[in-house]
Amino acid sequence: MTMAEGFSNGIKPEDQERNLKMSAVVVVHGGAWAIPDDLAEASVDGVKVAAREGFSVLNTGGSALDAVEAAVRALEDNTVFNAGHGAVLNAAGEVELDAFIMDGRTLATGAVSSVKNIANPVSLARAVMEKTSHIMLTSRGANLFAESIGTATVPTDTLVTEYERKEWEKHTNYVSGVMEDFNSQWKVSAVAHDTVGAVAVDSAGNVACATSTGGIRNKMVGRVGDSPIIGSGGYADNLSGAVSCTGHGESILKVTLARLILSHIEQGKSVADSSQLSLQYMGDRVCGAGGAIVVSPSGQWAATFTSERMAWAAVDRDVLWYGLDPKERLKEPLSQ
Amino acid sequence: MHQIVGCQPPIKLNEEEERRKKKKKKQKVTDMLPVVVVHGGADHIPKERSEKSTLGVCSAARAGYTILQGGGSSMDAVVEAVTFLENNPSFNAGCGSVLNIKGEVEMDAIVMDGKTLGSGAVSAVRNIANPIQLARLVMDKTSHACLTAEGANRFARSMSVPEVPLESLITEYSRMRWTKNLAADANPVECQIGKMGTVGAVAVDVEGNVACATSTGGILNKMEGRVGDTPCIGSGGYADNQVGAVSTTGHGEAIMKVTLARLILFHVEQGQSVEAASDLGLAFMKSRVHGLGGVVTVDPQGRWAARFSSLQMSWAAAQKDTLHYGLYTGEHSTQSIEKPV
Repeated sequence: MTMAEGFSNGIKPEDQERNLKMSAVVVVHGGAWAIPDDLAEASVDGVKVAAREGFSVLNTGGSALDAVEAAVRALEDNTVFNAGHGAVLNAAGEVELDAFIMDGRTLATGAVSSVKNIANPVSLARAVMEKTSHIMLTSRGANLFAESIGTATVPTDTLVTEYERKEWEKHTNYVSGVMEDFNSQWKVSAVAHDTVGAVAVDSAGNVACATSTGGIRNKMVGRVGDSPIIGSGGYADNLSGAVSCTGHGESILKVTLARLILSHIEQGKSVADSSQLSLQYMGDRVCGAGGAIVVSPSGQWAATFTSERMAWAAVDRDVLWYGLDPKERLKEPLSQ
Repeated sequence: MHQIVGCQPPIKLNEEEERRKKKKKKQKVTDMLPVVVVHGGADHIPKERSEKSTLGVCSAARAGYTILQGGGSSMDAVVEAVTFLENNPSFNAGCGSVLNIKGEVEMDAIVMDGKTLGSGAVSAVRNIANPIQLARLVMDKTSHACLTAEGANRFARSMSVPEVPLESLITEYSRMRWTKNLAADANPVECQIGKMGTVGAVAVDVEGNVACATSTGGILNKMEGRVGDTPCIGSGGYADNQVGAVSTTGHGEAIMKVTLARLILFHVEQGQSVEAASDLGLAFMKSRVHGLGGVVTVDPQGRWAARFSSLQMSWAAAQKDTLHYGLYTGEHSTQSIEKPV
């Protein structure tokens, strides 16, 4: 278990005061799994860029919802991550994407599952939220909706990297990926892969979350993981906080991880303790590993994982925090 | 680590008292199990359809109970009960599903096993007579928890689950409602009728294992590919042997926003009764997102509740050889399970 958290090591009086002023915070993750060394640096750079992107939206008066969408778009556009550009291929060699966005102010939610060949599924999820009376559209229906609002589909080749094509060919079947990608204290029945996500709180105290993924390499056609499922891949409620999850999707679903973390916060636990308890529970009960980022309406945040690694970054006031390995918690001034 | 609050040990009891209490508790548990509770949707049900609805949930509860009495698991029981409801054209699931905007049938279903927290779901699946059985196959035969649309159909073919013609799922009534809603002068109130007729079941077997199952045709004139609460774990249903099981029905988008099934079980974890927890969850959904619905809830001890904030919900429960059923708020009829309704 490893953890980074805001304001954890004794709250200084001046921190408390600033806290009351509702400082805006954004936290992003690039997926919790055994990230290979050759992707480590690019992963960390990618989450740092996305966190800056999200924070600049907050800084210029944007809402938490705008910030998480911007941060996740940055991750989707980055081929290092398994979402949008850089997505993994399913068993039929196609790209099927899941994405989710939620507004903690109204509990309004938008999601797409198994949508094909969309560069920024998170923005399509937001359009489902804002332009339909539904919450989730799936598969061809989601693509028809995209078409109806003028969102272009892009060719598979523009979304799939050469790296992924090679990996897909290497992993002739899904099971072979299990132990390689997912090597942790808990055994799992399937491979974990790198969903991306963001949570934010704006200066008005509104929270939001967004999650986006290409799912698991060699997944069955039509497999839907935790990412687009409300309460599992993410949840946001102004009364408690916002969460975005990553890790072994089927395990996250079993414990509805995002909602579980927030239920602990509702019971008065800190964001860090809530994340830790819930991830530990997921390991104990269903042998699944993963990670979560959490922000509370008062600006407390945590980035926690039980997988080998998770690329994460957070902007809290003028400091950019980031990490990849357990217990790693680096910082640099935001202006750098 | 994860504690169920509300189970406080007795403070001071002499040994005999303690033994007596233990015995009583044990006896009570045996008495209460097995149990199955089903719902046929929280909805405004037209009068001419209400009798059929009640008969349908009663026979589904009986079917589930028969499985449980024969030593079947709660998972077998909920799947059997929901299969009955899917096969009954009076309900919005399987045969009798509402039509989407294009006049097609797309169905969602979920099952969850409280022992393992394993779950299986299908969303926007077509041409399948019993989506609930396909959801169970997803749980039992794949490493995934949810398959959607064409992928779910592909999986069905690989499992040799027969595909049925669209026409076999469509009733005259559902076709009429679809045509009426498309009309320019469609009455918006009437359009709401039959909007929320998801079906579902929860059960506890003699071993104390809980399970839930929920199945639906979704909402009338929905967009192609619309997925509601039903196949989303924690929204359409949830089951955990340490807490209980819930199946929900009602305004799907509202149910999702509050993850109603999981919310109710959080209240049970905090020590609320299944009835109070269900009411708290439904009241929160009404106040926070203005949504109406209904739920059936059980705990591992066999205590159960059928609660709703909508005008009606057809429900039935079978326990201790007694059949319980109702449709309107406060209505609760009982009779021996042997007798026909």
